Formats: sequence, structure tokens, C-alpha cells
Amino acid sequence: MDAARKGIVALPFEVLKRALLQPETSSLLMFSVLFGITAILQENFFEAKSIVRTINSFAPLILLAMGQAIVIISGGIDLSSGAALSLFTCVLTTVMKKDDPVTGVYALILAFLVALGTGVVNGLGIGYLRIPPVIVTFATSYAWLGIALFLRPTPGGESVPWFRVFYNMRAVEGVPEVLKSLGNYVPPALLLIAGACVLWYVVSRTRTGRYIYAVGSNIESAYVSGINTGKTQMLACVLNAILIFLAALFFVGQNQTGDARMGGPLTLRSIAAVVVGGIALSGGRGSVYLAIVGALILGFVGRIIFFANVPNAYQTLVSGIIVIAAIAGPAYATLRRELR
Amino acid sequence: MLPCVENSVKVRRMETFLKKTFPWYGWILGSWFPMQYRKAFTILLLTVLLYVGGGVIVPGFLTLEQILLTLKLAAFIALFGLCQMIVIVAGGGGLDLSVGYTATLTAVLTASIMDGRNAYLGVALLVALVLGLLVGLANGALTSYLKLPPLVVTLAMADILQGIVNAYVAGKAITGRPSPVLVTLAARLTGVFPNILFVLIPVAVLAILVFERTKWEQILFGVGANERTAYLCGINVKKVRFLTFVASGVLASLIGLLLLGNMGIAFKDMGSNYVMPSIAAVVVGGVPLAGGGGSYFGVILGSIFLQALTNLLTALGLGDAGKWLGFGIILFAMLSVYAGNRRSR
Amino acid sequence: MVVLEARGIRKHFGGVVALSDGNLCCRQGRITGLLGANGSGKSTMSKIIAGVYKPDGGEIWYKGRLVHYRNPSEAKRDGIALVFQNLSLVPDLTVWQNVVLGMEKSRGIFLDNQEAKQIARDILSKLLPGLDITRKVYELSPGEMQIVEVAKAIAEKPQLLILDEPTAALEHAQVKSLFAYMRALAQSGVAIVFTSHRLWEVMEICDDVTIFRNGATVAYIDFDREEKDPETIIGHITGEVVRPLLAERTFGEGSESREILLRARIRSRVKSLRDVSLELARGEILGIGGLAGQGQNELLYALAGSFPGVQCEVEMGGKKIILRRPQDAIQNGILLVPGDRQKEGLFLEHSVYSNMVFPKFGLPRHPVVIPEKKYRRECEDVVRLLSIKVSGLDAPVSTLSGGNQQKVVVGKWLSFNVKVFLLADPAKGVDIGAKKDLYEYIRRLARERGIGVILYASDHEELAQYADRVLIMYEGSIVAELTGEGISEEAITAASVQVR
Repeated sequence: MDAARKGIVALPFEVLKRALLQPETSSLLMFSVLFGITAILQENFFEAKSIVRTINSFAPLILLAMGQAIVIISGGIDLSSGAALSLFTCVLTTVMKKDDPVTGVYALILAFLVALGTGVVNGLGIGYLRIPPVIVTFATSYAWLGIALFLRPTPGGESVPWFRVFYNMRAVEGVPEVLKSLGNYVPPALLLIAGACVLWYVVSRTRTGRYIYAVGSNIESAYVSGINTGKTQMLACVLNAILIFLAALFFVGQNQTGDARMGGPLTLRSIAAVVVGGIALSGGRGSVYLAIVGALILGFVGRIIFFANVPNAYQTLVSGIIVIAAIAGPAYATLRRELR
Repeated sequence: MLPCVENSVKVRRMETFLKKTFPWYGWILGSWFPMQYRKAFTILLLTVLLYVGGGVIVPGFLTLEQILLTLKLAAFIALFGLCQMIVIVAGGGGLDLSVGYTATLTAVLTASIMDGRNAYLGVALLVALVLGLLVGLANGALTSYLKLPPLVVTLAMADILQGIVNAYVAGKAITGRPSPVLVTLAARLTGVFPNILFVLIPVAVLAILVFERTKWEQILFGVGANERTAYLCGINVKKVRFLTFVASGVLASLIGLLLLGNMGIAFKDMGSNYVMPSIAAVVVGGVPLAGGGGSYFGVILGSIFLQALTNLLTALGLGDAGKWLGFGIILFAMLSVYAGNRRSR
Repeated sequence: MVVLEARGIRKHFGGVVALSDGNLCCRQGRITGLLGANGSGKSTMSKIIAGVYKPDGGEIWYKGRLVHYRNPSEAKRDGIALVFQNLSLVPDLTVWQNVVLGMEKSRGIFLDNQEAKQIARDILSKLLPGLDITRKVYELSPGEMQIVEVAKAIAEKPQLLILDEPTAALEHAQVKSLFAYMRALAQSGVAIVFTSHRLWEVMEICDDVTIFRNGATVAYIDFDREEKDPETIIGHITGEVVRPLLAERTFGEGSESREILLRARIRSRVKSLRDVSLELARGEILGIGGLAGQGQNELLYALAGSFPGVQCEVEMGGKKIILRRPQDAIQNGILLVPGDRQKEGLFLEHSVYSNMVFPKFGLPRHPVVIPEKKYRRECEDVVRLLSIKVSGLDAPVSTLSGGNQQKVVVGKWLSFNVKVFLLADPAKGVDIGAKKDLYEYIRRLARERGIGVILYASDHEELAQYADRVLIMYEGSIVAELTGEGISEEAITAASVQVR
């Protein structure tokens, strides 16, 4: 304590360095820099329409990344989140009939049940059968892909018109004017993200939330302390599935179609967002909200690449490099510290 | 007391239950059956059942041509399975998800180099080797020396390679064809036998010899079974794991050439469809994902089983959907069974 | 009032008997000390009471009721709390979150954090004043963690609190405040069981002691009625001297003919091992004694070049070598038989043959193709030499008994040019016959081939019987040296426990 106080007086630089070494700081810093660059490059960045568009384009990744963060914090990882997203869109668009608004409700209920099911299956493998998470979810990702292809071999399907509320409230008839004008400033995507945040806020303040961190940090200590580790990991997987479900609502609202293969690339990007946001892959550490920051960073990088006139084809390349850089950087620093 | 102990009790209880309910379970796979062939025997049995069942349901499924076609397609799965097996056996959660795109990138690059001429095959081989080496070195260094999770690293590597392919393709159309030698080797038949089998069989024999007669096998299996013991015996565990990724990268790249020969042209997703089957084949073939055991023979049988399953599902008109769903379910089921096995010991 | 009484508790692990006749009686408001040498069964006893292990026989009466706990949470529900040694803390949660972990209370749907913090603050303000309860546990020192561990057990409001060596990681002042709190708890009516390897601590805090030796309760001393006499207690711990094999004992040759084989200097940056230097003569068996976990294993790892963070420099045959990795030690004939043979010495699922030949493949310039016939012959020789009982060379090692497994670990080094053998507790979990075989063989090896042996044994009887010289370790340093006639089981145990 005393030494630390001396340090503050003598070496403010040291303190700054220590603060910079916190994963949160670096991700927030990176975010602000990228935000600044994008704002400069994009002329109409601060116009309402443009902000709405920005939020819309980042929303699915943000939701997936939050879900991924919950699973990673609980000591797992989900390689099936993209496939699950595709599956839910396929379920929604298969059940819905364009001319019958009621089918939308059925679709919502059924897709939600399917979502719970996927979470339970993943949770069963990770939490109860104790198969390594990467490999369980690798296996289930193909199962989800298979089911999605059954339902929808090619992209398409129908959607009830009112499903557009999840994308743009103005586009739906019968929505009260108040909501419509609210939708101008607060797009539905933002509401979905807010809903996800509220969900996590509530969960994080219950036993489940505390136990998710405990299990991810040290599963055996958690078990010895009387925590049901299997149930905790399963709940984490179910929460993740619910967040993916929200992303699926947005996707169908936006495109009115389902696609069995659209989610694939999002899996790695969601993991990347979690890592870039500063959440430890080893579990137990970091805030779920940091995943939002991570997703925004990835989103802005994509924007900047776009403005730099780099073709869209380079997107996957860049995101792959970012993931490796994001996880290799801290690991390299640790290695250097160990060698010294 | 700890979760694993509790589970092992459950697993043992389940085994007793199985033996009581199905007396033949104990008889077929009873203690008289040599341990190391038990898994291979099970897969063989399943494959035969699949064919008999398929022959009954779908007329024309059980013919020599069908079986040989299965073998031809299974050969590629088995070759990619060798990459996976080398990495998986060394333990440490090793897996290589980048093999598919390594092969794709090699195919795309070498197609334009060869452009249907045998003369440039040497150059193509060199390009393939260098590319595979680079990918393998990067994977190995990141996972082994920086201790990053192999799955995430190789998944990201797959993305990078895919990105390079996309970028390469975005500029222009993929041009070129494989050299005739490659086509003969990978796509043609000799009599009724697909030539690829003449590639697979030597590779398999060599792999099985390496995995049974050389010190590399012992070192790999030792590192996979117990890295601490191996370390205290003077083995450089990190270097061994690093080298497995290099080997996997080079092999995947060479398989890319064969794949190109088989397809006749290069296209964007030609290799990626083999990643999942190659891992599934390894798991079905009885190689524990934790490393330290398994045989390549089992992996080959696993590949044949999976390909036969794919063919049957296609014949039933279920196509891609059935294939992926089936693979997912089989992998999940096998994992739950083997994961239980591992702990009950 | 008697809270808990355990009678005739028996427990064995595999073929090893941990407890043959354990008896314990805990009374309300009293602190009972458990004493005994390494492996005397005191730790097993406390774990049985807390429901971690199930006893093979005997009765446990808790508050007048016969109980059979299947797991720790059942015992916990009845008010029995065991303090684990840094086993139950979750590193990424804060101190107060850890204190209430597993028994959080809610107010409405949310957790009641205010009350939880209050509970943690109440306990820790007395146990460790000045500890910030909002710090994450991974930031704490081992001593602070241990105290949080105790606080966690206390927060469960137990009626019987079992503290298994809680003071091992603590500093003197921390021990003092822990004792004060224990005393206060006892006065409020809690029964406490306390084990420690430091004799003076037990003398200071306990109201009575129960002494264990070789898995049985041998003495019960009530300090209210009897005098606190350390000599008597040490006598009970070490027991009467029964050593029929003493006559066989041969000491190394006289000191004038000693030829130094190895000089080692260890410079350490870790806490578990301090700077140590030692000498080893040709043909000598150097024993390392002391209480369990005082750096003996670490010392052997350092000498085998497999302890990163420690620099070990050895001088052999006029050559100075710095051991950086296991390979350096192996090539110079310094070979380690690690303590935990299943985790560090063997590939359990692999065959005896694979295990025996494995170290050869680490040598540079080993041919790629294995000369299997030659190696099999070598292995058969070793199997015969060590009389390993095995159905065949291809049997998995996991099917062997503990003693034969240990022989495989020793045997895998025999084809090497052995100069120094490092043995970490080789007889742990080995039955008596195999133990004797093993030690006799090692002694012959030392005498006939002039090999130096460094032997760490947690059982002091083994050291007394086979070592030519014994070094006692305490908290990572060598604190005493016993030679020649001065070596006896009592002397080693006494030197181990009497360290302040």
C-alpha cells in the first residue's frame, strides 16, 4: 500500500502504464480512436439517419457477442452461435405465412422454444457430460446447420409484415404515431440491445450471475463451495441462446427471409468481439458489456476498411488477423514477463 | 466428490445398465475381444449394417461401383483425417480447422501456375510446400509457444486464408487447370479402381508404420498422454506440438493439389467441406480428442463409414441437410460416449 | 457437551491403509488438536468427518445421532465446516463474494450484497484487520487467501469447525489474530478441530490433543488435567522404537574415503524453495526429511533441471553445468523419479514396454526406427532385475499395483548411465514387500555402482533405515543435518517438528 502511494507520487507514468495494461482501458481507448476516425471519414456520421444505419448494421454482432461473452465467462465457448442464428431465422420464416399475421406469434413462440432447446443441448454437453466446450459446440453447429438446411435449403421464406417492427417501426402499419416517431431516434435494434443488457443486468445480480463467474474462474472451487456447476453452465448456454434469438428477430425483421448459411461467419466474429473487448478466453473475468465495445470496434474497423476503398473481399482476412492479433498480443506480453 | 468423480460413477452405472439390458453387448464386446481392435470392429460392423440397410431401402445402393465411389470420396476425408490425427494425438486440445482453406488456397494458386501443363507440376509442388509450411509455422508458433487455444487460432487462420482466397478471386476469375498427372492420380480409374486409392494406400501404410514403428509415434503419444511425464523424460513438449502443426499444414497443402486434380478446377469452397468430416472421422475412428492414443486404421474406417452415411442420405434425397445433421449428431454421440470412457478409467 | 464422537474409523485407499483405528472426540466450546507425523492419518480423519471421504468402517456420532455423510454439502448442512487448503476460493471473485459463495441470500430477485458485505466485514475485521474486502482473491497473498478460506467456513455458522493446517501459509502476526478469533468462537460454543505441524501452536491454542500414529489414535491428552509437556507429546508422535532391521543397516564408508560426486548450488526466486547448496558423495544415500511440503519436491525438481524460476548449478567430475531443462540433467546422468508417479512418472494407459523405453527417445540422435527387439530384451532384463510382477510387457501400466508401477518408473532409467538418482517419496502407496525390494535394490545400486542417491521420503522410518545422512528441510531451506549414529526416526521427526 505504502509502496503504491510512493509510486503515484514519484512515477505517474507507471500508474498510467498500469491503467493502460488493463484490458478494459485498451479496448475503450481503441474504441474511441476508431470512433473518431470513422466520424472524420464519414461526413454525415452524426446525422440521425446515419446513426440508425450504423446501429442497425452492428446490432446482430453485438447481440451474438454478448451471448458469446456469457458463455466464455462461464468457462465455455460457443462455436455454434452463428449456426444457431441461421437456424432461428429459418424456423421463423418457415412457420410464418405472409398473409396471416397470427402465424408471426406462432413463429415467435416456436423459435423461442427452439432457441431454448439449442441452449439446453449445448449446456448438456458442456455442463453435464463435461465434453470440452469447443468440440461440443463444433458438433452442434453442424447439427443446427443440418436442421436449418432441412427447413430452408436455399435462402428465402416468408415473413408476416408486422415483423418489420424489429427493424423499422415506420414500415409497419398500425403502429401508433408515438412509437413511430420514437423509432426515428431509437431504432428497434437499439431496443433489442437494451433488452439484452437489461436481461443480463438482472441475471448478473442474481445467484446465477454470480455463479457464472465463479464456475468460469475455477470450476472445482465452485463445486466444493456447493454450486451446481452443470446447471450454471447450462443456464449460461440458455442465456446465450436467448440473445441469439433476439438477433434472429432483428435479422428476419430486416430481410424478411431466412438463410441457413448466413450466420456462419458471425461465429468467429463474435468470439473476436469478445476477445477484442478485453474478456479473458479462459473464463471468469471481464464484463459482458465489454463485448459490446468489442463488437463496435470490429464494426468500425470494417467501416474504415470500407472508406479506405479496400474491397469487401478483404473483410474476412482482416477479421481473422484482428482475432489473432487480439489474442496473441496479451499472450506475448505474458510470455515476455515470464521470461524476464 | 469433484464433478469428474461423480460423473464417472454415473458412467459406470450406465455401463452396467447396458450390459444387463442387452446381454449381447457384453458378449460382442466382452473382455475376450482385444481392446485395441474393439473400436475398429464396432465401426466396421456399423458400416456393414449401413450398407445392408441401405441396400434394402434404396435399390442399387449395394453395388461394387457404389462402394468404390464411396472409397474414392472417403480417401479425401481420410487424408485430411491424417492431418487432424497428427495434431490431435499430441494432445493439448489440438485441432486444425485451417486444413480446408489451406488446401483451397493451394489449389487456387497452383491451378493458374500449372494451367493444365505437367511441366509446371514441380513449381506447383514447391508453392504448395512453402504455403503449407508457412501456415503450419504460424499455427504452431501461436498455439504452442504463445499457448493460445488451437481451435481459435486455426479458426482465425482459416478466416485469414479464406480472406486471401476471396481477395485473390475478387480481382479476377479463378483460372487454370490441374496438370494431367494430378488429374490421373486423383480423378481417374484404373479398371474399376479409383486411382486415389493408390495414393491413399501407400500414405496409409507409411502412416501406420510411422505410428507403430518409429520413435515419433512414441514421442507423440507420450506427449499427448501425459505432457508432464514426457517433459520430465527430457522431451521438448512445445517443440513436438509445434511440429505437429507444421506437418498438418504441409500435408493439407499437398492434399490441396490432389483435390484440384479430382475437381479439375479450383473454386472458393472446395476444401472447407472436408474440415468437419475429417474431425468426425478421427473421433469415430476411436482417437481420443484428449490425445495420446488411436490408430490411423481406425480413422480410415471412420472416413469410410461417414462417406457411406453421406451417400445413403443423398440416395434418400436428404442431401446436405441430412449429411450435416447426421455428422453433428454422430460426433456429439461419440463424444459423450468416449468422454465418459476416458473418465471412468 | 460432546458434539462429535468418532469411534474405530477405518479407511484405506487402494491397498494402502490410511486409518486403522481412528478415534476422536470434540466437545462444545473446546479446541481439539490433532497431532501426528506425515501419513499418520490425521488429515484423513478430518476429511472423513467433513464428508469428503466415506469411511470403510467405524461410527460417527454427531450431536447424539449416528451419521453417514455422502458428500461435503451434507455435512455442511448439519453445521460441520472444513477449511480447505486454498481449494474452495474462486480467484476472480472478490473477497466478500467468496466468503458468502454458495450461500448467498436474496432480497426480492436480486442478491443482498449489503448483508453479504456486512457478514464478510464482521468476520474479517477481527481475523485480518485492514483487508479490503472488495479486492479480488487472485490479488491476495497465500496467507491472506488462507484467512479468507477460514472466514468462508466461519460464515456458514458451523457448530463444528475443522481447520486442517490453516497456519501453514501464515505469518506470525496472522497466526496470533487467527488464534484470538478461534478462542472467541470456542467461547461462543463452537467445537473446533485444529491440525498443525507446528508443535508450539498446538500447545498454545488447544484445550486437548489427540495424537495419531500409523493410522491409529495412540493418545489423548487433556491439558486441563495434564501438564503441557512437549517431550511427552513428541514421544507419542514418534512412538516406541521398533526397528528389527537396524542390524542390517550399513553406513557409507568412513568420511576420509568420501569422494564428492556432485556439488549443487541452487539460487531460487520462488517462495517454496530458498537458496540451497548441497554435496553428495559417491555411493551415498542422502536423505531429505522434514514435514510434508517444505520444499523437498521442489529441491529435487531443481536438481533435475525441471523447475523453471530456479537456477541450479551443479559441479560433477570437475565440470560445471547449469541445468536449464530436464535434458541437461538426463544427459549428465542425473535422473529423477518423481513423487506423483501417476501424474508425472507414467503414461498410465500405455504399455509397460512403452513406458520403459520412452526416455530414450528424448536423447539426441536416437534412430528414427525403434530397434524393438533389442529394447524388448532390455525391458525383460529390467523386469527380472526389479522383479516387477506383470503379465507381459504389453500390459497397460494402469493394471499394475502401486509398487510395480513405481518399479517401472525406476526401471525406465536403468539403461541410462546413472550417476545420481533423485527419488521423491518412492515408497508412497507401495506395499511393504515391494517397498523393501525397491529400497534394497537402490541401496545395492548405490554401493556397487557408486551411484549417488538423494532420497526424499515423507515416512521418516524409511529415511532412518536407508539414509547415510539426512538433511531436514523447513520452509524451503535446509535447517538441520543428521549423520551416522545421530540418525533415527525420532531424531528426524523431532528435528522436523521442533523448528520454530
